[in-house]
Amino acid sequence: MVHAAIRGETSFLNEVIEETPHGERLLHCIQCGSCGGSCPNGPDMDYSPRAIFGMIQAGERERVLSANTQWMCVSCYYCTTRCPQQIPITDILYTLKRMSVRAGLAKGTDAPALAKSFVHYVDNYGRAFELGLATRFYLLNKPLAMVKMGPLGLKMLAHGRMSFLPTRIKNLKQLQAIIQKARELGEKS
Amino acid sequence: MAERIGVYVCHCGSNIAGIIDVEEVARWAGGNLQDVVVAKDYKFMCSSSGQQMIEEDIKNHQLTRVVVAACSPQLHERTFRRACKNAGLNPYLFQMANIREHISWVTTDKKAATEKAKSLVAAAVRRVRLHRPLEPLPVEVNPRTLVVGGGIAGIQAALELADAGYPVILLEREPSIGGHMAQFDKTFPTLDCSACILTPRMSEAGQHPNITLLTYSELEEVSGSVGHFKVKIRKRARYVREDRCTGCGICVEKCPTKVRDDVFEAGLGVRKSIYIPFAQAVPRIPVLDTEHCIYFTRGKCQICGKFCPTDAIDYDQKDQILEYEVGNIILATGWKMFDCTRIPQYGYGRLPNVFTAMEFERMCNAAGPTGGKIVLRDGKTEPRRVAIIHCVGSRDVNYNEYCSGICCMAALKYGHLVLEKTNAEVYSFYIDMRTNQKGYEEFYQRLLEEGMKFIRGKVAEVTNADRSEEEKGRLVVQVEDTLTGRQRRIPVDMVILMGALEPQEDAMDLARKVGISCSSAGWFTERHPKLDPVATMTDGVFVAGCCQGPKDIPASVAQGAAAAARVAGLISRRTVWIEPVVASIDESKCSGCRICNNLCPFNAIEYDEQEGVSRVITALCKGCGTCIAACPAKAIAGNHFADDQILAELEGALWDASPEALLATFGKKEEQLELKVLNV
Ligand SMILES: Cc1cc2nc3c(=O)[nH]c(=O)nc-3n(C[C@H](O)[C@H](O)[C@H](O)COP(=O)(O)OP(=O)(O)OC[C@H]3O[C@@H](n4cnc5c(N)ncnc54)[C@H](O)[C@@H]3O)c2cc1C
Ligand code: SF4
Ligand code: SF4
Ligand code: SF4
Ligand code: SF4
Repeated sequence: MVHAAIRGETSFLNEVIEETPHGERLLHCIQCGSCGGSCPNGPDMDYSPRAIFGMIQAGERERVLSANTQWMCVSCYYCTTRCPQQIPITDILYTLKRMSVRAGLAKGTDAPALAKSFVHYVDNYGRAFELGLATRFYLLNKPLAMVKMGPLGLKMLAHGRMSFLPTRIKNLKQLQAIIQKARELGEKS
Repeated sequence: MAERIGVYVCHCGSNIAGIIDVEEVARWAGGNLQDVVVAKDYKFMCSSSGQQMIEEDIKNHQLTRVVVAACSPQLHERTFRRACKNAGLNPYLFQMANIREHISWVTTDKKAATEKAKSLVAAAVRRVRLHRPLEPLPVEVNPRTLVVGGGIAGIQAALELADAGYPVILLEREPSIGGHMAQFDKTFPTLDCSACILTPRMSEAGQHPNITLLTYSELEEVSGSVGHFKVKIRKRARYVREDRCTGCGICVEKCPTKVRDDVFEAGLGVRKSIYIPFAQAVPRIPVLDTEHCIYFTRGKCQICGKFCPTDAIDYDQKDQILEYEVGNIILATGWKMFDCTRIPQYGYGRLPNVFTAMEFERMCNAAGPTGGKIVLRDGKTEPRRVAIIHCVGSRDVNYNEYCSGICCMAALKYGHLVLEKTNAEVYSFYIDMRTNQKGYEEFYQRLLEEGMKFIRGKVAEVTNADRSEEEKGRLVVQVEDTLTGRQRRIPVDMVILMGALEPQEDAMDLARKVGISCSSAGWFTERHPKLDPVATMTDGVFVAGCCQGPKDIPASVAQGAAAAARVAGLISRRTVWIEPVVASIDESKCSGCRICNNLCPFNAIEYDEQEGVSRVITALCKGCGTCIAACPAKAIAGNHFADDQILAELEGALWDASPEALLATFGKKEEQLELKVLNV
């Protein structure tokens, strides 16, 4: 359901609300900072989620979509479980990731590219394949940095935390059908 | 003889007329509904000119019935009944249709609203035709009042009534009256000593000739209604005879046990198995706690009994059930503290130097477990830095949505006490500083000046996992300082959690016993949030203090006095008139099956053994209708809610659903009516 447009509000606030399930809870933010205080990556964020929400309310589209906040989020959901207003903070940050990629403002971060590589493997194998993911990501994005990551990769291989070949899950077709459906729904809404 | 009915449709300014076409409704009712001889719309029916209009119409048009379509009968039924009475019409020959709360306030669809208003007016008109004149029932008001809860609010209410010359029973669950205020050291914003201002009131209540003090007692059962409630009270066994005990305290001194005191000392101190909770307790009579007493658990000891100089210890004492009749009841059962272990990231119960506000109150009290010294859990180390966390369990939809109202002030009070009694720095972590009563903002200013530090941010967590040399062995408060936008970690030695005020555990139970309701949070619901804050929907039951919602001491005292004034008003009237909406049993139809006897929730039905029939005790009946529905012989009828009246109302509301209802409602056939049957 589309939340009725907030009177006199910038379309940015309404867009974020509409694109996030229970996004209308955003209107309840009391700027307490529980989210920013709880976040393990808080100190590295340009702005804490709280500040981001303030800027969304103020209609600062550019500043929000080019911030690193959404890309620093590791989806631990600490903030969401502690938020006194039950605001789906982590989910709103996902919305901001999507909006930021669409707007071409996701600069200075590799995260979107990494996400794309990840999706490529899930599409084709039904699961992530760490070695391929890393190789594909570094080859496409930063071939030089790959050399630096070599020793870590070898260690992971040695400890069986990564395998040489991707494995395909059983019934990949079914998963692909599910993903296809989800994409259709996603495009519709 | 045909009735002559007047119908009056109110605009309520634009409240109703903004949505419902009131003129159309009045015109339609006048043109169509059977027996309606006058139908008008008016800006404000409840104004004196509106009432006058009804009164004049009753006289000039010889009206025999009146219908007003306006707001909820909760608000103005009395007003219009009075108008009918003034004009010589029995007030029960009146009916109200609620077209505001039930229609105009809940829709924006004007067409549908207007049509529904017609239905409700049709329903009221059909019903009122079958109303029968009734007379209200007189009830003598017993001048005795029961006050439940002996905190400051209850004490105030009891003293006001007792001083006015009326008898009061002051019922308290704990061994002493005094409530939470007895536990405090200082009270904000003036910092006067809590005991110094409270204990004179306590002893006055304890010695007042008009007050019967029942401590260590609980309310078991309530029946009856305003003027003549019957209450059953369980007076729990103290194992000490009150008539013999002199309060010397030798038994307490000699008792060899030590028990953690979770009530008065908030878990911070100890007491004996036989104990007087605090030095100024009223009454000063100990209670014996059988759960920890060596004699009761292991069968041997009785040291207290041996040493008591007046032979007052009675190990065989039993609970007593006392019964009283009272005219009114005032509930003043206060609040309880939020269980801070429910927020694990604040570490209460896990990290020893995290304290609750009540623990800190006891710690500051010179008569408390630390003798008034502010020290860590080890009992000796003075903290170098103290953190006070606001809104613990308040303003948080995961726990309590409301603001507890007083804890910002209590936090400032603690800041002052820490600065006064120790060399520590003190930090307040707040979301918003709420200091909105007389002298409160000034107190905040004072603390700013005294050097209390304020960080605007809800604390994320309190941890002992150190990340630096400075944090080693201390507690770390992690928070976003929202004014700088930075995450901060502040090492401290002591943390105080400003837990929320919550309704008492048994608030819902108590509400059910006396027939009132609670808000979704569990606070007792007042009759009107603005205009009637101490009465409730049940006549003769009043509320005062924190049981109605969090508030400070001045507001609790004001409510206690206000509730007493309301009760005194009822007592001085001597007689109250209650609604004659009661059941009556037609003895010629009653088969004496007694099914109704046990079903009545108010014990209002008695059985006449000789005649073999059941009878309703009118003064106890609340007109709930349970017996009416249950009687297999259909021998019971309810005044004002008789079957014929209710069915007529339904048929009126559904006039457009069947030809029979149509004919009965309008007295004309369909083709003779100007009807726009709607498809809404
Ligand atoms: C940490 C803290 C500090 C505070 N400091 C201040 C301050 O400095 N200044 C200020 O103005 N306010 C202060 N307050 C607010 C103050 O505590 C309340 O305003 C006050 O206690 C309200 O009084 P009361 O009589 O309504 O309730 P209470 O004090 O809670 O008393 C209720 C009484 O009813 C009894 N009772 C409960 N249920 C039953 C039952 N079913 N049957 C019989 N008896 C029952 C209880 O045992 C108790 O004795 C503070 C509150 C907190 C949490
Ligand atoms: S925790 Fe919730 S309410 Fe508090 S600032 Fe963050 S989003 Fe707003
Ligand atoms: S879910 Fe994201 S924003 Fe929230 S605390 Fe975790 S990393 Fe930070
Ligand atoms: S009074 Fe202050 S500390 Fe208490 S709940 Fe309200 S804002 Fe929070
Ligand atoms: S209506 Fe019947 S069941 Fe209800 S209170 Fe009266 S006598 Fe009891």
